[in-house]
Amino acid sequence: MTAWYMVIANLKMTFRNRQSLFWALVFPLIFVVVFGLFRLDQPVTSKLVVIDQSKDSISRALIDQLKSITLIRVDESRTLEQAQADLQGGKVNYVLVIPPELEQTVARGTAAPVPLGLSYDAAGLQNNQRMFAILNGFVDQANLSLNHAKPLIAVQGQAIQAKQLRYFDFLLPGFVGMGVMTYAIIEVATVLSLYREQKILKRILASPLPGWQFFAGIIGAHLVLALVQAAIILLAGILLFHGHVYGSYLWIAVLVFLGNIVFLNIGFIVGSFARTPQTAIGLGNAVTMPMMFFSGVFFPTDTLPATMRAVVQYLPLTPMLTALRGVALDAKPIWSFPTELGILAAWVLVTSVVAIRVFRFS
Amino acid sequence: MARMENIIQVEQLVKKFGPLIAVDGISFEVRKGEVFGILGPNGAGKTTALECIEGIQEPTSGRTVILGLDTHRDGAKVKQRIGVQLQASAYFDYLTLAEILDLFGRIYTRHVPPRELLAKVGLEEKAKTTVGKLSGGQKQRFSIAATLVNDPEVVFLDEPTTGLDPQARRNLWELVQQIHHEGRTVVLTTHYMEEAEALCERIAIMDRGRIVALDTSMNLIHRLPTPYRVKVKSSRALPIDQMAALPAVQHVSGNGDGHVYTLDVSDSASAVPALLTWGKQQGVAFEHLEVRPATLEDVFLALTGKQLRD
Ligand SMILES: Nc1ncnc2c1ncn2[C@@H]1O[C@H](COP(=O)(O)OP(=O)(O)O)[C@@H](O)[C@H]1O
Ligand SMILES: [Mg+2]
Repeated sequence: MTAWYMVIANLKMTFRNRQSLFWALVFPLIFVVVFGLFRLDQPVTSKLVVIDQSKDSISRALIDQLKSITLIRVDESRTLEQAQADLQGGKVNYVLVIPPELEQTVARGTAAPVPLGLSYDAAGLQNNQRMFAILNGFVDQANLSLNHAKPLIAVQGQAIQAKQLRYFDFLLPGFVGMGVMTYAIIEVATVLSLYREQKILKRILASPLPGWQFFAGIIGAHLVLALVQAAIILLAGILLFHGHVYGSYLWIAVLVFLGNIVFLNIGFIVGSFARTPQTAIGLGNAVTMPMMFFSGVFFPTDTLPATMRAVVQYLPLTPMLTALRGVALDAKPIWSFPTELGILAAWVLVTSVVAIRVFRFS
Repeated sequence: MARMENIIQVEQLVKKFGPLIAVDGISFEVRKGEVFGILGPNGAGKTTALECIEGIQEPTSGRTVILGLDTHRDGAKVKQRIGVQLQASAYFDYLTLAEILDLFGRIYTRHVPPRELLAKVGLEEKAKTTVGKLSGGQKQRFSIAATLVNDPEVVFLDEPTTGLDPQARRNLWELVQQIHHEGRTVVLTTHYMEEAEALCERIAIMDRGRIVALDTSMNLIHRLPTPYRVKVKSSRALPIDQMAALPAVQHVSGNGDGHVYTLDVSDSASAVPALLTWGKQQGVAFEHLEVRPATLEDVFLALTGKQLRD
């Protein structure tokens, strides 16, 4: 019962402490907002200048069809000279020249096909291929209909509700893990060294409160806070920046819980060595920074050199993020990650033992 | 005087920190209902001794018993019935005074409502403020309120007035006396001899981990070879050796500039007339003459050869 009051008191203290709230919520939210604002994987649109020298029904039809493609922005306001200069200057990506009297030439019939001149910057290889494919598609169709030929083969499109896996969706579970880790380690370490410095720990020791109840209060409050943190980070990502979570929130909560226990223990260990809150912050950062950068918050760990990956995979944040992404993005159940859960469980065990051994009241 | 019940017993208490012997085999008893003082300079081992008795520190050897219970074997039971104020301890920054007292109260089976505690220490208007917003004296009073949450039978106060201005110190003395009048036993440490004299029925004088004397302040002073001080101011410089040779005068210390001299005397009734007669013979007019009892400061000096305050 007393442990319960300790949890409530710790929650009250956290919500009244602006600095603590900043690290709990604002810090991870800054990442969500910054990465949400940059359109990291939006396809690039190309600017196409059309110089229509024939201005007849065929050229009009062609231009209208080009305009209907979202990835192409069609501009008809430039002269050929301007367009050529802007292509050189990188202001436009393509210049398409439709020669004069297209309709008449086609009606007369020609030996060789009428050329539509396309100028482009050779550097944008992928986009160029796409542009050629689009234009060829239009031209083929135009040829068929002008020849009054019946199409023999057609692509039948079937829209399937495909999962849009975006980089932002990949980042979101990363931010959850990072936020929970940073807050748990640094806050617990700081609070503990502060309580020792201010003799609050000794005051507790002078009371009949069993030590474990005091720490249960801190741990309990932090477990609640970690879930609130995770919920707010995910909610911000989903509501503000169209992020996605495909899997079970229950498994996400379980993983946050498990990871948080490891991080709280690490916080207790750091707080046992740090004599002052300032040292606790320094030491806490020294522990969290490498995990923040190498455990795959921002990039998949597959892209690391193999030797580094061999080490990094055993840091507690790495299996937490792997499982978190598998659960959140691939909608897998938590038991699809026995290795990750095993590593996390080992961390829970080891850090609990160490935390209890190194802890001191004064 | 009726035999008094001992509420605390300390037997051969030793606490070492590596090679340093912070508490060097002290033994004493505290009687039920008394205010017991441990007086000593910084580093004497007062805090260490107190914390061993309270069960916060594990002694190297020796036994400490409170209310008939061994502090270390029955720590939890003892802690239910004692109140502990640590030297320069702080409380949670982000809880109000009432919330802190409520939280601490819940730790104990018996507890006093926060309002009542705050009223007792004159902080009822501050119930909704945080400790950070209190003055030094208010902080110490609050700290005493927190010590009383469980309505304790024994109260330990470690240097409760260190760092306070004289006004705040007097306020706190009144509070300690009030706690005493409620029937609680109080054990306090201090390095102010006035404080020990004003508050404590019996005083243990501690130096370098040992208790060098233990008695009422009156007995401590009267057991000195020179329990009185005679202070004179004359119009001119006086020969110190002649004054020191007067009956009952043991030692003379002089301030040559102002012609002020202090005589340590074993018996003022024979020393003062002798001094006056000698003065007349010398043709000296004493502008000022005062006789006062020696102080605990003098006792400390006589016992250790050191000043109490550095
Ligand atoms: N935890 C500790 N570790 C090492 N030395 C200590 C510790 N606590 C106190 N001491 C030393 O023990 C001696 C007594 O200290 P203390 O009990 O605080 O004296 P007091 O309260 O009379 O000022 C001092 O020399 C102090 O430096
Ligand atoms: Mg002390």
